[in-house]
Amino acid sequence: MLGEMLTASSSHQSVPLCDDNGVDRAQIREMLRLTPEQRLARVQEFVESVFEIQALNEERPVR
Amino acid sequence: MKSARFGETLRVLAQHQIEFIVVGMAAGILQGVPLTTLDVDIVHHRTPENVRRLLAALTELHAVYRGNPRNLSPSESHLIGPGHQLLSTTSGDLDCLGAIDGAKTYEDLLQFSRELTIGPNAVVRVLELSTLLEVKRRAGRPKDIAVLPFLEATLDEIRKHG
Repeated sequence: MLGEMLTASSSHQSVPLCDDNGVDRAQIREMLRLTPEQRLARVQEFVESVFEIQALNEERPVR
Repeated sequence: MKSARFGETLRVLAQHQIEFIVVGMAAGILQGVPLTTLDVDIVHHRTPENVRRLLAALTELHAVYRGNPRNLSPSESHLIGPGHQLLSTTSGDLDCLGAIDGAKTYEDLLQFSRELTIGPNAVVRVLELSTLLEVKRRAGRPKDIAVLPFLEATLDEIRKHG
């Protein structure tokens, strides 16, 4: 459906990573291995980390 | 926005035994889409009893209208209607949508949803990925179009590998 997949550029790795829309299929497979609760936790951890970094830079915004 | 604790928001809603369907990207994430979001969108069942349960949960979450300088709280009359109530809570942003995708209600969407366990004694209903994809396609806004490749690829992976 999404056409031919690209393969990793590394010579020792031939597992397809991104499809021709640039979507990383490995990330999807990793998410699909998790339970819904674990998926929530992973996304939440990422978002909370972003907020922490934003808070650290509040007085000196990154431009 | 002070936080985005999606799990806490959903668990509070589940504990109050509210009939609702998670729509939007939170539904996608719960089913494996590798993206993130900063809010939770739900379509709730707009019966008086359910709206009362939702109000109790929103009170527990200290929900107020997002961007409203007077910190107005939602009322039963707001939540019983088909409009979109865009709220800020102590565990992040929560949008309570009376209807989506034209005028589709909780009852309309129920057959296109599935239950997922998100913790001990916490089960939530989410819009199925294939329906979420159709809804996003019909919405057709740039922000919806942007996520289509991720939804399509996740569905493709599920079909191929189960």
